[in-house]
Amino acid sequence: MNLQIIKKRKIWYIISSTLILISIISLILFGLKPSIDFTGGTLMELKLSDKVYQTVDISTGNTFANFLNANIANNSTGTITVQKTQDNYFILRFKEISQEDRTKLIEALKEKVDPDIVETKFESIGPTLGKELQKNTTTAIIISVIAIIIYIAFAFKQVSYPIKSWKYGTIGIIALIHDILITIGVFSLLGKFLNVEVDSLFITALLTILGYSINDTIVIYDRIRENLRRTNGNFEDIVNNSLNETMARSINTTITTLLSLIAVFLFGGDSIKMFALALIVGITLGAYSSIFVASPLLVDLYNFENRKKISQKK
Amino acid sequence: MAKKLNEKQKLNITLILIGILTVITVLITIPKGPNIKIGNTVKDIKLHLGLDLKGGTHLVYQADTSNIQESDKLTAVEGVKDVIERRINAFGVSEPLVQTSKVDNNYRVIVELPGVTDTQKAIQMIGETPLLEFKEPNTNTEQILTDQQKKEMEEYNADAQKRANNILEKIKNGDKFEDLVKQYSEDEYTKENNGEMGKVYEDNIYFKDLVDEALQTKDNGTPWKVIENIEGYNIIKRISAGEDKKIEAYHILICYKGATSCDSTLSEAEAKSKIEALKNQLDIDTNTDKKDLFIKLAKENSTEPNANTTGGYLGWFAEGDMIKEFNDAAFSLKDGEISDIVKTEYGYHLIYKSGEKQVKYADIERILIKKKTEADYINTNQWVNTKLSGAQLKSASVMFDNLTGAPQVNIEFNDEGKKLFADITTRNVGKQVAIFLDGQLISQPVVNEPITEGKAVITGKFTLEEAKQLAMRLNSGALPVSITLINQQTIGPTLGQDSLNKSFIAAIIGFALVAVYMLIFYRFSGFIADITLGIYVLINISLYKIIPITLTLSGIAGFILSIGMAVDANILIFERTKEELKSGQSLKNAIQIGFKRAWSSIRDGNLTTLIICFILYQFGTSSIKGFGLTLAIGVLTSMFSAITITRTFMLELADTKLEKHQKLWIK
Repeated sequence: MNLQIIKKRKIWYIISSTLILISIISLILFGLKPSIDFTGGTLMELKLSDKVYQTVDISTGNTFANFLNANIANNSTGTITVQKTQDNYFILRFKEISQEDRTKLIEALKEKVDPDIVETKFESIGPTLGKELQKNTTTAIIISVIAIIIYIAFAFKQVSYPIKSWKYGTIGIIALIHDILITIGVFSLLGKFLNVEVDSLFITALLTILGYSINDTIVIYDRIRENLRRTNGNFEDIVNNSLNETMARSINTTITTLLSLIAVFLFGGDSIKMFALALIVGITLGAYSSIFVASPLLVDLYNFENRKKISQKK
Repeated sequence: MAKKLNEKQKLNITLILIGILTVITVLITIPKGPNIKIGNTVKDIKLHLGLDLKGGTHLVYQADTSNIQESDKLTAVEGVKDVIERRINAFGVSEPLVQTSKVDNNYRVIVELPGVTDTQKAIQMIGETPLLEFKEPNTNTEQILTDQQKKEMEEYNADAQKRANNILEKIKNGDKFEDLVKQYSEDEYTKENNGEMGKVYEDNIYFKDLVDEALQTKDNGTPWKVIENIEGYNIIKRISAGEDKKIEAYHILICYKGATSCDSTLSEAEAKSKIEALKNQLDIDTNTDKKDLFIKLAKENSTEPNANTTGGYLGWFAEGDMIKEFNDAAFSLKDGEISDIVKTEYGYHLIYKSGEKQVKYADIERILIKKKTEADYINTNQWVNTKLSGAQLKSASVMFDNLTGAPQVNIEFNDEGKKLFADITTRNVGKQVAIFLDGQLISQPVVNEPITEGKAVITGKFTLEEAKQLAMRLNSGALPVSITLINQQTIGPTLGQDSLNKSFIAAIIGFALVAVYMLIFYRFSGFIADITLGIYVLINISLYKIIPITLTLSGIAGFILSIGMAVDANILIFERTKEELKSGQSLKNAIQIGFKRAWSSIRDGNLTTLIICFILYQFGTSSIKGFGLTLAIGVLTSMFSAITITRTFMLELADTKLEKHQKLWIK
C-alpha cells in the first residue's frame, strides 16, 4: 500500500487554507472569550438543593441569571452571568468582590434562592493578577517558539542536502503556526456559540501542542533525511515513501495519545474538559499537518528552488 | 560462546533488577505503603493532593513594599511569610503551604490551606494583627459631654421619642399591643414575653412613673400617653390593678452541708441544734429590744452571704415573693413577732416581722424604646489609652498561676515598653489598669507597686488553649508591611473528592484504552508494551509519592496524557522492528536493530516536550506547574521504561520457543 499523499497535495492545501481562513475570520469577528484568569473577577460555583424556592426559575442558566440580576446583584457584583453545568450546579461570574461582600452574597442567596445552597467553588482574581497572566502568557509563548526554533535548527544541522537545514525548520514552524491558529480558531467559535472560555490551562494546552506536534514533524523529517542518504531517486518520491513508512507510527502514536485525552475529556470532570479538548484538537492537527502540510511544503520548496536554478542556468 | 553467555547474563541481571524495581514500586504504590525510616527521621510515603482535589483555600496576598528600601524588600516579605506561618500554625491546619513569590516588582505571599473551607475565618486569622492595648483609669472624672456628643444624644432621644409616638399611633389604629412588643420593644427581658412585667408595686422606685400612670387610668388598657422614665420611652398596657399586703422582715439562716447554695460544713443535726439555741436565746431574753437582738444574732450567726452587714434584712415583700414555707411562716406573723424554726431548701430560718402595709399595684405590659443618657457617653471613657501597646512587646509565654493553676500569659516588654510600663504603673499605684485585646477588656489588675523590670501577666478567664493561642499571636506580632488579598480560591470538599474520583476513573479508562489498542495492533509485542506501561504507571506513582509531588487536577491530566505518549517510543520501535523483519532479519536481530534505529527519533521527539514542560514549570501558577511537572516526569520515565524494560522483556522472550511464532509477535 502506497498512498499518493504528495501528488494530492492541492487537496490538503485547500483544506488547511480554508480552516485557517475560517479561524482568522472567527478571531476577527468574535475574538476569544477570556476567563477571569485574564480579566480578573469572580467565579462562584453553587450547588442547589431540592429546596429551591418556587419563585426562582432555574430551568436554564439564563433564567436563573435573570432572577439573580433582578434580586441579588448589587453594585459590588455588577451583572451576574450564569452557566448551568449539571443538574443543580451553576457557575456564576461577576466582578471581583471582597470577602464581606461574598458573605453577604451567600446570605442573600440562602434567603432568596435556597436555604440549603452550597458554594462548592469560589475564585476571585484581582485585575492586576489578570494583567500579569496576560503578560506571562505572551512571554511563555515567545520563549517556547524561540526554544523550538533553536531546537529544530540544532536537530537538522547535519541535513543540508538537498534543502538547507534552516528551511526544514522554517517549514516545521509554519506547520506549528497552522496547528495553533486553527486550535485558537476552534476555541473562538466555541466561545461564540457555546460560551467556552479561554483560561490559563488553554495556554498550557497551546504550549503542549507546540512541543508535541513538532515531534511528529521531526520523526517524519528524520526518516526523509535517512532515506535521502540511503536511496537515490526523485525527491518527491522519497518524501512520499518516507511518509508511507512512518504513517503507521504517526497514526498509532496519535491515536494512543488521543485515547488517553478522550478519557480525560469524557470522564475527567468539568474543570479540565476544555483543556483536554484543546489538546485533542491541537494534537490531531499536529499529526495532520506533519503529514499533509509540512512534507508537501518541503517538496514545493524543493521544486521552487530547482526551477529557479534551472532558469538561472538557461 | 563465552561472550554470548555474557550477553545473556547481562540480560538476566537486567530482568532481575526490573523485577526488584517492580516489587518496590508496587509496595510504594499500594495505599498505606511502608514509610521510609532513616535513623530517626520517618518519611511519610503518601500521595500529596492539591487543593483542587481535596478541597481547601488558596490565598494570594500582595505586600505593600512601596515604603521600603529596595534592598530590604525581600526581608520584609519573608517577615510577612513568617508571621503568617506562625498564625496559621496557631490555627491548626495540616500541611499548610506558605511561600513568597516575586513577579516583576510585586512581592506576594501565597497561602494554601488544605481542608479549610471557612475562608472568612482563615482570612481573619491571617490578616488579623492582635491588638493589645494597655489603658489606665480616666482621671478626668468630671466629664462633660462635648457639644458633638450632646447633640448626638439629643438627636437620638428625639428620634426615640418620635418612634415611641408612632407606636402609640399604631395602637390607636387598632394594632395588637403584643405584636408591637415583639416588633419594637427594646426591653430584652420582656420582649419575648408580650412585654409582661407582672405586678409592679407603687413603692417600686425604678418603675414608679409607669405604675402611677397605670393606676391613674380608670380601666385596664393603654393610657394614651408615652411615659418617659430613666430607661426611655414606655407605652404600657394595664392588665389588672389592685392592692396587696406587703410585709417587712428580717431572718437568720443556718444552712447545713447539702442545702442549696450552702458553703457550711455543719451537718443537718448540728445546724438544727444551732438554730434551736438561737431561738432559745431570743425567747429567753426579754430585756433588750427584740429587733436589735435579732439583728445582732443575724450578724453574728446567719450563714447568709453579707448577713454581717445586712443583719438579715429582707425589705418589703408581697405574698408569693418568697418560697412557700418561708412565705407561709412570714405572713402568719404579727408585727414584732419571731417565727418558729422554718425549714426550707436553704436550711433553717428564724423570721422577725417588723412591719406591714397595703401597697397598690398594677399588672402591666410595656413597650420600651430606650434613650441615651450622659452615662452612655461617659462610660466609654472610663479608660484612657496609654502609649503602650503590643508593639513594644518582646515576648509572650504561657504560664500557670502559682495558686490557682489557671493558665495566664506572661509578657515581657522591650526597652521602650519597659519604660512606658514603669511610668504607667508608677502613676497608678493602688488603682486598676486595663488590658484590652482586640478592643475587649480582658483583664484589669490592681497595681500594687511600680513595675520597673518590664514584665506583666495577663490573667483572664483563659482556657489553656486560648492562653496558648494568645501567646502565639502576640509573639507573631505585627506584620512588617501591610498586605492585601488579591486572589482567593475555595474548593469545597465534595468538589475536590468528586474531581479526584473522576480523574481516577479517567486514568483507568485512559490506560485501558491505550492498552487494548496496543494489544490489537501489535499483538504479543503490544502485550509486552502493556506490561511495560503497567510498570511505567507504578514508577510514576512511586515518584509522586517519594519526591513528593503535589498532584493537582491538571497534574493528573498531564500524567494521563503521558500514558498515551509513553507508548510512542514502543510504537516507533515496533514499526522499525517490523521493517527489519520484512527485510529478512531474524526476530532477535530485528528487535535489536529496531531499538537502535528508533532511538534518535525517540530522543528528539521527547526533547521538545521536555523543553515545553520546563517553560510551563517556570510559568508560575500551580495548575500549570503541576501539568508541566507530571508530564516531564512521565516523558523521562517513559524513555527508560519503553527502552530498557520493553527491550529486556522482548529479548528474553525472543530466546524462547515463542521465537518461532513470528506472526504472533508483530502483525
